[in-house]
Amino acid sequence: MNKPLSVCLCIAFVILLSGCGKREISDLALVMAVGLDKGKQEGTVRVTAQIARPADARGQTGAPSGQTGEPIYSISAEGRTIFEAIRNLARFSSRRIFWAHNFVIVINEDYARDGIMDVIDFFSRNHELRMRTWVAVTPHAAHELVSTQTGLEVIPGQSVDRLFRYNEIVAEAPRTDMRQLLAAYLSRTSHPILARLTLKGRGTSNKKPQEHGSIDQVELSGTGIFRKDKLIGTLDSKESQALLYFTERVESAVVPIPCPDDKKNEASLELRYQRFTVEPTYQNGKIYFDVRLKTYVDMVESGCRSRLSQAELMQLMEEPLEKVLKERLEKVVKAAQRTYKVDFLELGKYFENKYPKEWKKVRDRWEEEFPRAVVRVHVETEINNPVLLEERVNQRGENK
Amino acid sequence: MKTKITNGILMGLIINMVYPKAIGVTQGLMAREAMNDIWVAMVFSTIKGSVIMLLTVLIICRMPDKNLAEYASVLFGKWVGKFISLLQILFFLGAYATVMITFVYHMLDYFLPEMPVLLLIVVALIVGVYGVFHGLEVLGRTALVGVFAIISLNVLILIGSLHLMDVRELMPFLNTGVINTFIASRHNDTDWAVATMMTGMILPMVREKTIWSRAGVGGVMFSAIMVGMWPLLEVGVLSPEVTGHYTVSCMQLARSAEIGMFIHRYEMIMVAFFAITSLVQTMICILCTSQAASQLFGLKDIRPMIIPSALVLSAFGYWIVLDKVRAVELLEHVWPVWALSIAISLPVILYIVGLFIKPRPTPSDRETA
Repeated sequence: MNKPLSVCLCIAFVILLSGCGKREISDLALVMAVGLDKGKQEGTVRVTAQIARPADARGQTGAPSGQTGEPIYSISAEGRTIFEAIRNLARFSSRRIFWAHNFVIVINEDYARDGIMDVIDFFSRNHELRMRTWVAVTPHAAHELVSTQTGLEVIPGQSVDRLFRYNEIVAEAPRTDMRQLLAAYLSRTSHPILARLTLKGRGTSNKKPQEHGSIDQVELSGTGIFRKDKLIGTLDSKESQALLYFTERVESAVVPIPCPDDKKNEASLELRYQRFTVEPTYQNGKIYFDVRLKTYVDMVESGCRSRLSQAELMQLMEEPLEKVLKERLEKVVKAAQRTYKVDFLELGKYFENKYPKEWKKVRDRWEEEFPRAVVRVHVETEINNPVLLEERVNQRGENK
Repeated sequence: MKTKITNGILMGLIINMVYPKAIGVTQGLMAREAMNDIWVAMVFSTIKGSVIMLLTVLIICRMPDKNLAEYASVLFGKWVGKFISLLQILFFLGAYATVMITFVYHMLDYFLPEMPVLLLIVVALIVGVYGVFHGLEVLGRTALVGVFAIISLNVLILIGSLHLMDVRELMPFLNTGVINTFIASRHNDTDWAVATMMTGMILPMVREKTIWSRAGVGGVMFSAIMVGMWPLLEVGVLSPEVTGHYTVSCMQLARSAEIGMFIHRYEMIMVAFFAITSLVQTMICILCTSQAASQLFGLKDIRPMIIPSALVLSAFGYWIVLDKVRAVELLEHVWPVWALSIAISLPVILYIVGLFIKPRPTPSDRETA
């Protein structure tokens, strides 16, 4: 191809292909979090978008060059569908609503009880939204939660994102994102679960330290349980901790256990390395699941005023720890089988993988079979690490 | 066309011809039928693809300076040769439509929703024609760049999504049955069909005849390695149900990938690599159609046919991608019948008939021997 033609082509490409749709960053309203509530009118949805105000959200501390003092701008609009509500947002947003940087979708529990199929459909169909966007339910108004300044980050949506990311340390809520929600909703073997966000008065103003807990902070703890797309109940933080063994890889968890010879005080045990297995068995038309948890534990804190050595303490605490963990696992199994009667533990998947032929016989009536399945929980713990200390700290005082 | 390419370049061309649609659209099509067994379907399909590739190479080896249509004209006469050329044009017309579906929907659905479809079609047309005018050798070198892009893309997606993989999603093995999985593999067969039909046209331009079969089957195997991780990742990360829910399922995987906390939404980088290989596919389709058209009209040079061929392919591709329902209908139902009936029957018939009819070698064959 001759040079003039090449030059013409290059110029044509530069003109035609630059700009990616002519959207400048200063034309965009970057959504950081979105909340979904029921609208005032029956059958409508209220969408709240938490939008970053770039001029006031610069750097880690948000040096307020925009002079508004508000790093976020929250707006709400209602519509008969989510898309209509979002289009209505555009009526008073001076910039184009842009979803690609959204961190979290928060759904009010009243809205979720009526079904979130529209939410799943809309956000999984939306090309801008990333599939790793966190999804959670809240008992509070989602617009309130989304507008709440929380955490150290300047942008609240980013704070909630960090809550989810570092949740593996606390492990009290599932880390549910859009990808998992869609997969669970489409799955033939299980039902969706979503993390639960609540507002708790945990923040304290530095200017008014006497008003302890006067500032609402977003807390990630608990789980919303769904049957298909409808919220049917919730699990508390302890049940959620046990649930995570079934659905995720639990990195760590802390369990306080009363001291063996000093029931007034407690020791903190950190579950560090864990092996969790579910072994299904099919015998005479009956389904059994053997749930086994083997965990290696560090003693990270001991308030025990005990005369026992650390090794003896650790050995004596293994049994009560096993009991606590077993109870928690049995409690979440009971919640699934008796309270809600839905397989959010993904036990059907374990059964399908081991008994594919038998699964084909029961899959259409798994809802009835699942509560009848026998789930046996076995827990084995090994407390083998007192971390840095060779001797307990109160030993000197007692020897006097 | 006197150009000669190496066997390595042939392998690169085969990989480029298979990869974009195989990772982008085929996995979703197969997942709707074979669920978690799409990787097994791919294994079945690779075996079938290798056999047809070997058959194609064996046919060309009989008269190394003739492609399939020219060989058919030697066996059956001039008009049958022209008919085969017509079939090849029809085949690449369909192949180009699937290439455009893959290319346009990747770009339009995920990156440039406001861009007119026509612009993407025109870009593919211009790049394709530009490449073909430079000849097979330049095209082959671009294909090697395409292989580099494929490897880079694979590494990026692997780093970003391996930690999300749940092996339980891949089980149970052969969940939907062997026969169903085998039938579902027809979608992947169409990808190999494009590679074998291309090989049937360009193999006489490949230098070392002695290692043609190794290069051909090796190309299929390397392509399978490049594509093979995608069904595993798509099912393991997204679940079979989600994989089957999307037209372009690989983009869902790309949208889910992230490296650490700061590198996410890097599908823009991945799609840049993807576009290279997709555009190589475009070029090869135009090249093969131009060559078949020049044979149909008895021309010795393909250059007069490049622009008309590209315009016809682009017009058809545009018409197909303009309506998504029509595009999916073509991919799911029409294209497997269209592609496989030509790509399987042509080499099989020519191979069998060639066993009984021994054409006298031409002077050029003697020289090659």
